[in-house]
Amino acid sequence: MGRNRIHHATLRVFSLSALFACAFGALALLATAFDFDAFVQLAARRYGARTEQVAGQWRNLLTASRTLPEVERVRKVNDFFNRQITYKEDSEVWGQSDYWATPLETMGRGAGDCEDFAIAKYFSLLLAGLPADRLRLTYVKAKIGGRYSNISIAHMVLGYYPETNDEPLILDNLLADIRPASQRPDLTPVFSFNTEGLWVGNAPGGTSAGSSTSRLSRWRDLLSRMKAEGFE
Amino acid sequence: MSIYRQFWLAIIGLTVLAFAGSFVVSLFTARNYIEQQLYMKNVDNAASLALVLSQLPDKDPVMVELMISSQFDTGHYQEIVLTDPKHQVLVERHYAGDASGAPAWFVRMFPINAAPGTALVQDGWKQYGSIRLVSHSRFAYQALWHGVERLAAWFLLAGGLAGLLGTAVLRFVFKPLHGVVQQAEAIQERRFITVGEPRTPELRSVVVAMNAMVSRLKAIFAEEAARLDELRRQINHDALTDLANREFFMTQLREQLTAAEAAAEGNLALVRISHLDKINADMGHQLTDRLIQHMADVLKRFAEGCDNGVPARLNGADFVLLATGEHDPRRFGETLRQALEEDLVPAWPQLEEMFHIGVVAFRRGDEMRDLLSGVDKALAMAESKGMNALHVLSEEQSMTGSRSAESWRHELSEAIHDGRIRLERYPVLAASNQPLHQESAARMQLDPHGPWLTAGDFMPMALRLKLSSAVDMDVVQIALDHLDQAVQEIAVNLSAETIADWRFNEDLAALLSHNPDKAKRLWIEVPEYGAFRNFDAFRSFCHHLARHGCKLGIEHFGHHFGEIARLAELGLDYLKIDSNYVRDIDSHTGNQEFLRGLCRIAHNVGMLVIAEGVSSAAELATLIELGFDGATGQEITRRVQD
Repeated sequence: MGRNRIHHATLRVFSLSALFACAFGALALLATAFDFDAFVQLAARRYGARTEQVAGQWRNLLTASRTLPEVERVRKVNDFFNRQITYKEDSEVWGQSDYWATPLETMGRGAGDCEDFAIAKYFSLLLAGLPADRLRLTYVKAKIGGRYSNISIAHMVLGYYPETNDEPLILDNLLADIRPASQRPDLTPVFSFNTEGLWVGNAPGGTSAGSSTSRLSRWRDLLSRMKAEGFE
Repeated sequence: MSIYRQFWLAIIGLTVLAFAGSFVVSLFTARNYIEQQLYMKNVDNAASLALVLSQLPDKDPVMVELMISSQFDTGHYQEIVLTDPKHQVLVERHYAGDASGAPAWFVRMFPINAAPGTALVQDGWKQYGSIRLVSHSRFAYQALWHGVERLAAWFLLAGGLAGLLGTAVLRFVFKPLHGVVQQAEAIQERRFITVGEPRTPELRSVVVAMNAMVSRLKAIFAEEAARLDELRRQINHDALTDLANREFFMTQLREQLTAAEAAAEGNLALVRISHLDKINADMGHQLTDRLIQHMADVLKRFAEGCDNGVPARLNGADFVLLATGEHDPRRFGETLRQALEEDLVPAWPQLEEMFHIGVVAFRRGDEMRDLLSGVDKALAMAESKGMNALHVLSEEQSMTGSRSAESWRHELSEAIHDGRIRLERYPVLAASNQPLHQESAARMQLDPHGPWLTAGDFMPMALRLKLSSAVDMDVVQIALDHLDQAVQEIAVNLSAETIADWRFNEDLAALLSHNPDKAKRLWIEVPEYGAFRNFDAFRSFCHHLARHGCKLGIEHFGHHFGEIARLAELGLDYLKIDSNYVRDIDSHTGNQEFLRGLCRIAHNVGMLVIAEGVSSAAELATLIELGFDGATGQEITRRVQD
């Protein structure tokens, strides 16, 4: 029944981003009911006292900063992860070339690559009460080795847009502080996405565990792991 | 509702349920799958378009619109809309044509709801807008609709096949049940038939049980009948020779001389073994008995060659033979003498003189006393003539003997053609004194101005000339006409030759099926000797008429009592008991016991028992006490007339 036509269309394009968006949307909507204490206990059970301590700090940070201005919250979350998490390649941490870890996994290992930083910050800011339409996960081309270097790497950062038409503030694990995009000539944006308008609660192929589309995605994997961590 | 129909409906119901279920499930599964695939296509295509637009270095509105148009025009899209971050529409494309590849009602009943795909477009670090993309669902509807059409076609085809197959299987499965049902119905009608055993185990055990029951019942009947037949023989027959005894013979002779239906004329022979006392003294008791039995055997064989031949042993040395059908008493006597000379004499060379024969001719209406003294006189004359002599007393020519066969044929045909046949009717009362039916006796006027002859006068000739079927058909027709006005039911008797005539059977069946209401009030009876002489013909006659609702019976019953078990499977309605057993029944205790048993057996197989020739109130009272259901005869006629 027309299966092939659709299927080819599916394979033709960049499917992961859509699924990524779906997964994020689901979590964002459900974040208000997040149980921080259970999360901390889980961190203790799974990774021991050190991670419990990190998770407890993370909980305190998010619950305490709810009333702060948005920019302050962004700064605190950025500082938290840049300080607590060490940058390491996926192949080193997880033994595979590209693994997207959940925030708890990232805290548990104490290490992650650029996606893991961006994902952890994204979830944390959603939990801190920021609207999803001010946050964008962005694939960027990053020039490294100074202004005149020709070496570039594929990189991911989180963009925060204080105003819709404004330039974003960039949350990057390569730099400790947050800077406006105009002060980051080393980064060239390629593509960005967030959950806004993408996720439709009753849409087929959404986040329902049994749907055929979710099986295609590594985010199905991420999502199920996050469910086990309380992001339900 | 029959079990066959119930099974059939169950098969139809299950088939429809199974197909409808799979139909609905596959329809919904297909729709769900299509919706998911469409949604993925929407999301993926939106993402890839957004990626391309994000990479456009200079967001020239014309360029953006061109790129969206080219994507829209070359792909399969319902709509593509680009809005800026403030939700103002920048570019939009909509498909305007017919969006559906399936009938409108189908689209209404099974809408395909695939969510639109959305993706963000960047201009450098700045937000440029978002893409909303909906794929065309026309082909999806088409695919779904074709699937439905194919499923429905398969459903109809397979449903039809399942129906045909189910019908065939049910036919096969229920075929043996049909036999079982027929047997059960037959038993309800008190016809005791057995049927072949089916292969279905459940049915087989039923059939085996029913067959066993039928066999057991038949065996019980046969046993009871044999016992009573033995009793009948002891009472009415000579123990040594098994011939009728004096008393029984006298009853038969009286019947022959008085009954309207009896043959008009006949011969009576008296045969005496000469010097039996001396033989007994010389040869001893055992050899004498052998001689007497030999004589009886010869007479029995001879009687079988005559019409209504009745041999009997009157006392020690005296035998009689009553026979009709031979007009010339001299020829009758001579034939009998020759039979004795050939079959008896050579076996007894030690005896010189063996027998004497006296013969006298008689006609219906003759006095019995005169007849007996006449035959005594003839025997005395024969004894005076010498060794193994014959004397015939009556030399005069009989009435029937005066006509040639040709003139008989002519006159009978004329009478039948002109309808000079009428029915005398005699009442038959039930034990409750209510009328049961009217018995009829045919009368025929050979000469238009002559007397009305009884069946005994014309029927022997009609039989010989093979005109009995025509007479009987007339009789049935007259009886049916009579039923038009009559309140009472009517009985007609058919001759033995008639029922074996297949053309008569066909004509009678046709006549009865044209008069279904009157047929139910018609009783048809066949004389006992006719029924048993050609039992197969009688059986097929009974089966032939069974569905027309007329009642079937046997008249003059009693002599073949031992074979009553054979009647059980015919589904007969009644038996009329020969007047020989009815005569003086009030004083004949031996026959009382026999008739009581006969009534019991007949009632067991669902037959009424009616006595013939009841001539006194005492007889009637005894018969009712014995269990008879009805009676006919002079006593009854008298009662009705009073």
